[in-house]
Amino acid sequence: MALTAEPPIYRSDFTLTQVNKDISAAIFRKPNAWWWGGLLVALGMLGIGSYVVWVQLHVGLGLLGLKRPVMWGTYITDFVFWVGIAHAGTLISAILFLFRQRWRTAINRSAEAMTIFSVICAGMFPLLHIGRTLIAYWLIPYPNTRHLWVNFRSPLIWDVFAVSTYATISLLFWYQGMIPDLATIRDMHPKPLARKIYGIFAQRWKGTARDWHHYEAAYGLFAAICTPLVLSVHSVVSSDFAVSSVPGWHDTIFPPYFVAGAIFSGFAMVITVLTITRKAFSLEDYITIDHMELMAKIILATSMMVSYAYLVEIFMAWYSESPFDTHIYIWIRFFGPYAWAGWLTVFCNCIAPLIFWFRWARRNLVTLFILSIIVNIGMWFERYVIIVTSLAQDYLPTNWRYFAPTVWDIGTFIGSLGLFFTLFMLFARYVPVVAIAEVKSVLAEPVGERALLEESRA
Amino acid sequence: MPSSYHPPAVLALFLDPSSLLNAIKAVREKGYRGLDAYTPYPVHGIAEALGLKISWMPRVTKTMFFVGAGLGFTFEAWTMAWAWPLNIAGKPFISVPAYMPVTFESGILIAGISTFIAVFVAGRLRPAPNFEPLDRRLTNDRFGLYVPVRPYESGNVQSLLKEMGAVEVRDLA
Repeated sequence: MALTAEPPIYRSDFTLTQVNKDISAAIFRKPNAWWWGGLLVALGMLGIGSYVVWVQLHVGLGLLGLKRPVMWGTYITDFVFWVGIAHAGTLISAILFLFRQRWRTAINRSAEAMTIFSVICAGMFPLLHIGRTLIAYWLIPYPNTRHLWVNFRSPLIWDVFAVSTYATISLLFWYQGMIPDLATIRDMHPKPLARKIYGIFAQRWKGTARDWHHYEAAYGLFAAICTPLVLSVHSVVSSDFAVSSVPGWHDTIFPPYFVAGAIFSGFAMVITVLTITRKAFSLEDYITIDHMELMAKIILATSMMVSYAYLVEIFMAWYSESPFDTHIYIWIRFFGPYAWAGWLTVFCNCIAPLIFWFRWARRNLVTLFILSIIVNIGMWFERYVIIVTSLAQDYLPTNWRYFAPTVWDIGTFIGSLGLFFTLFMLFARYVPVVAIAEVKSVLAEPVGERALLEESRA
Repeated sequence: MPSSYHPPAVLALFLDPSSLLNAIKAVREKGYRGLDAYTPYPVHGIAEALGLKISWMPRVTKTMFFVGAGLGFTFEAWTMAWAWPLNIAGKPFISVPAYMPVTFESGILIAGISTFIAVFVAGRLRPAPNFEPLDRRLTNDRFGLYVPVRPYESGNVQSLLKEMGAVEVRDLA
């Protein structure tokens, strides 16, 4: 039968009871030393970040490496980096859902959690970067005594709307998808107090046919609205650059190039985090090596797209014969003062992921983990290259200056990593990291809906 | 408590979704209505077997998307062209292409929030710290069928459900 060509997604001897027990085990037992150790490290990084931000709010932006002409430095780099990381979660939960990729059930919950946590990290940077964080609410249009409104023609305002909509919708989608699993935990938890707390969040979910009926319709609709949303968010972020007239930014390829880069870096982060999570919570049978391999394939594909975008940029700069474009795209980035960053980006994003053409590399946890770190580094430096090199040498050569981040720049980034991992550790402890109900539905119909169709015809 | 009130009914527990589906068909053939099924995950075919209408969620999302997008665009046009028209780089006061991103995001935001609320309204979901389900295994590994009956029918329905493969049958008074 042709249908059996599709391999089962989970082990065929799993029962519903078993799935429940395995996935919720992390919630019921006391956390081990690894979890405490990880949480402490993450909290330490968060502490460094909090100190840095506190000092910076008192002293001002002068602590950072920002000086004319580089007024957008690592904070904007960090912002784009984190927004990019967020995109993998929505891709997995929405786009792969619409494409009926059933292996997504293993990773969607944790990837969506990463989406929310990284949007939180991302949102922090523009708020700090505006310099007067106390009046950050001026970004929102509201009736005020000056009768002034925000400029809706500016991509920076599009960004406010895109990122806040993205954060809200991702959070609602994530929570809605989690309600049945919270109800499962509520009904299994031995402690009465915990049952009450999970009961509050499970919203008296009973799992009736009517509940599921509306739930499934809403899930599909959320997936349908999240798909254009996720594509729009990074397109809007790229418009922050592309709509300006700065050589190195003023580029029509930016929206698709940024979206591909976002998915690329996001999947790398998913692999980084899940390699550890599946080990720490013994979920190797759920987040299997096959799923890791599929993610490696997506990384390879998006790496090709990103490489293509780099090539197009360089080609267009040369073909346009514009001295400004050639100066930025080719000279500064690959031969001039920032050549180290340009080549590092090319190595990490274009050359290193080529190892995923080999099956053994895609199925080896060590190569997967190392590669995912390399890609994360590469994608951070890609944004660094785009933002810093384009500004460092502007139209007026007397302005030219070499940008270097200070310890404060680095401290804030460490803090954002700390925030991300702290939130993730807490999530992994108190919420099922794998979507229990979705795994169960895949267990019941291991080869997809086509099999059901065939069965009903027979 | 009014929230836990239900008419006299029979609850049957099954081990697999296909027995549940067959039982629903059998019970409905005998003329019983108002059935409800409890499953730990969405089982395809149950909504059809129970005769549920197509969910009204899509209408909420679709309507609210256009409402949100319309509000977004109107707000942009109002602030930029009417409340305080500022000449910015000589661009038209109503710059339709530049207004599109915020129009789109407003539509998505309102549509998403409305869909989320609609799920809560449809399922009458609300925070319930003291909620106790009919059976705790229904969100784990059992498939339940809830049949409202008149008291004298209970015995017949129970034996029918047992025949259809129920592993546990009980009266809910």
